[in-house]
Amino acid sequence: MPREIALADALVPSILLVYLGCLLVLWVIDTIVGHYGLYRYVWHPSLFRVAVFFVLFSAVGLLLYP
Amino acid sequence: MKIQPQALLRFAITAAVVIVALLLGHALWRHYMYSPWTRDGRVRAEVVRVAPDVSGLVTKVPVIDNQEVKKGDVLFEIDPLRFRIALQQTEANLDAAKASARAAGANIDAVLASASARKAEYDMRQEQATRREQLAEVVPKEERTDAKSAAETARAIWQQAQASGHQANAAREQAEAAVVQAQVAVDRAKLDLERTEVRAPVDGYVTNLDVRVGDYAATGSPRLALIDRHSYYIYGYFEETKLPHLRVGDPVDIRLMSGGTHLKGRIIGVARGITDRDNPTGKDLLADVNPTFNWVRLAQRVPVRIAIDEASVPKDVVLAAGMTASIDVQPRRVLDKDEH
Repeated sequence: MPREIALADALVPSILLVYLGCLLVLWVIDTIVGHYGLYRYVWHPSLFRVAVFFVLFSAVGLLLYP
Repeated sequence: MKIQPQALLRFAITAAVVIVALLLGHALWRHYMYSPWTRDGRVRAEVVRVAPDVSGLVTKVPVIDNQEVKKGDVLFEIDPLRFRIALQQTEANLDAAKASARAAGANIDAVLASASARKAEYDMRQEQATRREQLAEVVPKEERTDAKSAAETARAIWQQAQASGHQANAAREQAEAAVVQAQVAVDRAKLDLERTEVRAPVDGYVTNLDVRVGDYAATGSPRLALIDRHSYYIYGYFEETKLPHLRVGDPVDIRLMSGGTHLKGRIIGVARGITDRDNPTGKDLLADVNPTFNWVRLAQRVPVRIAIDEASVPKDVVLAAGMTASIDVQPRRVLDKDEH
């Protein structure tokens, strides 16, 4: 994966796209977890959401740029 | 108070996810900050500033701007007339010098002949004098003395002739040296004439052609730039935080900004010095240091020279000095581990 990507002729770091994609995935996960009421197994839902986002983002980032 | 199992489970799940998030986040941060890549690479090339070796009017410019030339092709030509005339003159001088060398040689022969005549004369006089000395009873003293001094005189004349011979020898050597001098002048005039054709010193591209027919080209003043076509390389400006992770010899992936073409390369050197921008010399030769120093420290960037693998350059890609490239170093950590 290239380090940078041209968005409307502006070169932006590709990790920005990863960031946006992870936000989308987090939103999907949040909806599913909320729908099945699984947040009752979680201590602080907002802390949990932030942590899940960091796990996703870092894992994808590290995988794409070995 | 009894801890409820469900509360423990909730805390454990959250804590586990948070810890994993912290570890991964830290790893990504380190990776992103320290992995050796940069978006600021510049394609560069070695440029020959072509200047004429002789001065004169430009009479012919057979190349056009941006043309590709081979080593030895004529780039422009300076009016050769003056240099042809100079060559003719030096050739005439050479002929004159050769003639005077021959004259000096003939002179020596003459002088040597004259010296042998003098020697014969002396021998005769000497013999005469000796004979008269032996017949002292019959020959008067006056005659004997006369014969003796005549022999002495003949001897002096002979010695003079010998000295003339040495002189003539020296004159011939001088004339021969003059011939060599004249020969050197001819060679030089030939070289000047040859240098009226300014030729390409390397294979490359004519750039910034600033010479027209009728211009006066002065010795040593560059008239056009010739980019050596085999000398393209890349300078990657790496932040100093990334330098520990790259080594000379590491393979490099180059991505040109134009078209995103990928090229292969190799690190061939790291600059060992850049200017300290915090220390320009101010008035009175004192250091002119910035008055503030902030919490945020900016990493300096150090040029790293990268050789482009010419075989990896696609045929249709135009490389131009000054182009931008992204550079991704693939550190040879595995190889290093094997070595240690």
